[in-house]
Amino acid sequence: MLREVIKMDEMVSRLVKELQAIVGEENATDDRAICTSYSRDQHWHFVPAKNPACVVRPANKEEVRAVLMLANTHKIPVIPYSTGINVRGLTIPVHDGSILLDLSRMNRILEINPEMKTATVEPGVTFGMLLEQTRKYKLRPAFPDAPLTVSVLVNYYLRGIYQTAATDGHDHTISYEMILPNGETLKTGSRALSRMPYFRYGVGPDFAGMFCAHPGTCGVVTELTAKLYRLYDNRKEYFIGFDDVATPTKLIYNLMNDELAASIRLVDNQSWLKGIFGTFDYPYEELPKFVLCVLVEGVDGVFEAKDTLVRAYMKECGGEVLDLPAEFATTFEHESLGGAEKSCMVFGIKGRGNYHCIGLYGPLTLAAKYYEVHEKTALEVGIPKDHVHFYIDPIYSFHGQLCYFELDIFYDGSDPGFGAKLRNYNERQFHKLLDLGIYGWFRPYAGIIEPTVERIGYLAEVWKKFLRVLDPNEIMNRGKLF
Amino acid sequence: MELEREEVLSAIHHCVKCKLCSITSFHPREEWLPLCPSGQFYGYQAFYAPGKMEIFRAILEGEITEPSEGLLNAVYACTVCGACYEKCKQITSVELGAPDLFEAMRHELASKGWILDVHKNIAEKIKETRNAYGEKYEYKAKSSDENADVLYYIGCTARYRVPEIADAMLEIFDKIGIKYQVMDEEWCCGSVLIRTGQVEAAKELVAHNVEEIKRSGAKTIVFTCPGCLKTFEKNYPDMGVELVHSTQFLLRQGNMNLKKEDLKAAYHDPCHLGRDLGIYEEPRAVLSEVADIKVMKREKEQAWCCGSGGGVKSAFDDFALWSATERLKEAKEAGAEALVSACPFCKRNLKEAAEKEEIEVYDVVELVNRCLER
Ligand SMILES: Cc1cc2nc3c(=O)[nH]c(=O)nc-3n(C[C@H](O)[C@H](O)[C@H](O)COP(=O)(O)OP(=O)(O)OC[C@H]3O[C@@H](n4cnc5c(N)ncnc54)[C@H](O)[C@@H]3O)c2cc1C
Ligand code: SF4
Ligand code: SF4
Repeated sequence: MLREVIKMDEMVSRLVKELQAIVGEENATDDRAICTSYSRDQHWHFVPAKNPACVVRPANKEEVRAVLMLANTHKIPVIPYSTGINVRGLTIPVHDGSILLDLSRMNRILEINPEMKTATVEPGVTFGMLLEQTRKYKLRPAFPDAPLTVSVLVNYYLRGIYQTAATDGHDHTISYEMILPNGETLKTGSRALSRMPYFRYGVGPDFAGMFCAHPGTCGVVTELTAKLYRLYDNRKEYFIGFDDVATPTKLIYNLMNDELAASIRLVDNQSWLKGIFGTFDYPYEELPKFVLCVLVEGVDGVFEAKDTLVRAYMKECGGEVLDLPAEFATTFEHESLGGAEKSCMVFGIKGRGNYHCIGLYGPLTLAAKYYEVHEKTALEVGIPKDHVHFYIDPIYSFHGQLCYFELDIFYDGSDPGFGAKLRNYNERQFHKLLDLGIYGWFRPYAGIIEPTVERIGYLAEVWKKFLRVLDPNEIMNRGKLF
Repeated sequence: MELEREEVLSAIHHCVKCKLCSITSFHPREEWLPLCPSGQFYGYQAFYAPGKMEIFRAILEGEITEPSEGLLNAVYACTVCGACYEKCKQITSVELGAPDLFEAMRHELASKGWILDVHKNIAEKIKETRNAYGEKYEYKAKSSDENADVLYYIGCTARYRVPEIADAMLEIFDKIGIKYQVMDEEWCCGSVLIRTGQVEAAKELVAHNVEEIKRSGAKTIVFTCPGCLKTFEKNYPDMGVELVHSTQFLLRQGNMNLKKEDLKAAYHDPCHLGRDLGIYEEPRAVLSEVADIKVMKREKEQAWCCGSGGGVKSAFDDFALWSATERLKEAKEAGAEALVSACPFCKRNLKEAAEKEEIEVYDVVELVNRCLER
């Protein structure tokens, strides 16, 4: 055993020397403490801490390529890491001896093209960094409700959920460049054919779609071109209270069907609303149980017309239009169209310090059912009702009445007993939701994907084979799935 | 470790690794402004607050059993400026602040003997000379009245590295007719030892200073050094005397007959004064009497640290000077001709960095002294 440890240590030392030769001495290390700092994320009740064997911080594509080829030759697992805020343990190693590839030094905005309404970025560019530049052109990226410290490239590559502005829809990636374990470069969309990376579907299949949103990754994306959206001067916010989940679905449907509002978020009064309003200090319990937050925007003329229609629908919606402090509307605007900063307040709810969620896509028609099963399963495993929260975000375009639902539980992260309850909850809930019917999960992460793959038939086989072609030595953190 | 292990682990588990503590508040300005000097300079996750917390967890849970170079660097190349905590508490309402955690971590490391040689040397120098710089000579200062109610605690940095601050403070007392004492045997307050985890070694210093102060009969102690003031406030027993910073003391003197200069000055919040003690307004009020204040982007709770605190200046001078240079650039961007602080430690580091930047560096008391007519 001791001999094996010494052998492993020697191998890692040799590896670090080779990595240092690529990226410079100060940018690769196997120092135990430095590696430990990458060993755990917020999802630690589900993905236990594990150290990478070393951390390497390349400065450019060529260094990335050299690192990948070296790892591939020695069959060493590589975990790309851009900002590490994925909340699903995705950058926590599965295997001993992994290389953590910290891409945060690659943080250039390569292009903002206001004419094309696109931005091309490297992995270390965050939403905050990007908006700081795009707003000069009255443009913005589509934002997840994640802290604006997360990587734009990774968020789009993982295909996130962009509920802060439902209008933006789902797909913001236009094209990207990815380096594969063998050192080859893959370019998707029009990027493969020309210097114009502005069209998603260049040749044949939708390759940009095929290589993204895997559990683990196929290679390392080094640059990505994404859509930008307009920032309008005209804006108006409304907050409408409801006592149940079913009643507001009619209003949501109307707003989506007529494409009237930019942001449409149904949240309960004890959870995400605090981030949307930017304060813990308000008697939230005095508000109706659910609050629909609506933001209307547009150019002159269109804005007024939309606003009139929204008001008309609000009148007949069966909810209560809430009169709230003006600064709540301002924070809602910032959080929706300027990058989320306060959404992390969910971690401070009742000082509990952690949140667990199952995020899924499904039709609005099943909203009340999802909520019911959420509450029921939580109670079954001993999670009290006041820990159980829920929200709905519809997504443009509204075919299939597409919505994102989040079944949230806020808890004390330092309580190991609660972690056990949550694991139990997950085990039951994944199956129940699959039985009830969903369109898909928010992200195919470890834990949720296994019961899912069982149900997708031959697609699972094809999926595995596809990954094997791209990554025959299985170095790209594939342990997260197959 | 004075904090309970469980308390520390619970606080660590509450860190959700969102890294919002690495930047200032984004809204409404919508500018990306770094906040954590250590992370910004070194880059690895270990140098940001969430990474350090993870390291502390691994130490407490027995996963890290030896001191590596990276461990010592990650732990000690942090100015313990507390900027991360100011940001974090807005979001997570976490109950235990990063500066407390990081000091507890240093204490834990020091108790295992995992400490930088340079910090050990400081402890030795203090043992030998009773000052943090190991200087054998005395800064010449005499009480104007042995029985005065006011005692000026000068501190090692103003005595031995930036005496112009102590000189200015003493001259101000004279000019405004305040009788004062200075301690014949002023020992280091112990700040540097406590901040670097060598808490036990500070005990003797604390005991000595407490004894001397009690003997002096002073009712108010004035500090030009926020580090000393913080240490007296947080680590000394209650001596029944009032502890005030120079700017608080000056402000309550009322109209001091100051002649305002034609100087555009930015005010740099010292971490110990601002984030640790909540003293933001008094220095600004005093400075506005002598100069036109230019406001920098990173201010007050979200001020960028000058880079010298927490034992960084002595151990990682290149990092300390880089951090100071960033601050000087920010002051220049704000249109300031001078960067003014209220801390000898800040002044020393900023001044050194300013050798390459075209900007003046002062302590508030220096400007006040300059503008004060007898
Ligand atoms: C409060 C909160 C709310 C959130 N809400 C949302 C939300 O509304 N919508 C949403 O989409 N997300 C949300 N998230 C999740 C998360 O922030 C994002 O998914 C995030 O963008 C991914 O994390 P990251 O950018 O830090 O990437 P990382 O953690 O660095 O990486 C994530 C994954 O991508 C891989 N990877 C990293 N870099 C590369 C690369 N260059 N090439 C290939 N693979 C790579 C990693 O190996 C890993 O598998 C939320 C998070 C928090 C904390
Ligand atoms: S802001 Fe707080 S919770 Fe977030 S990473 Fe920093 S210390 Fe951790
Ligand atoms: S105390 Fe200051 S230097 Fe240390 S981690 Fe926090 S912000 Fe960074």
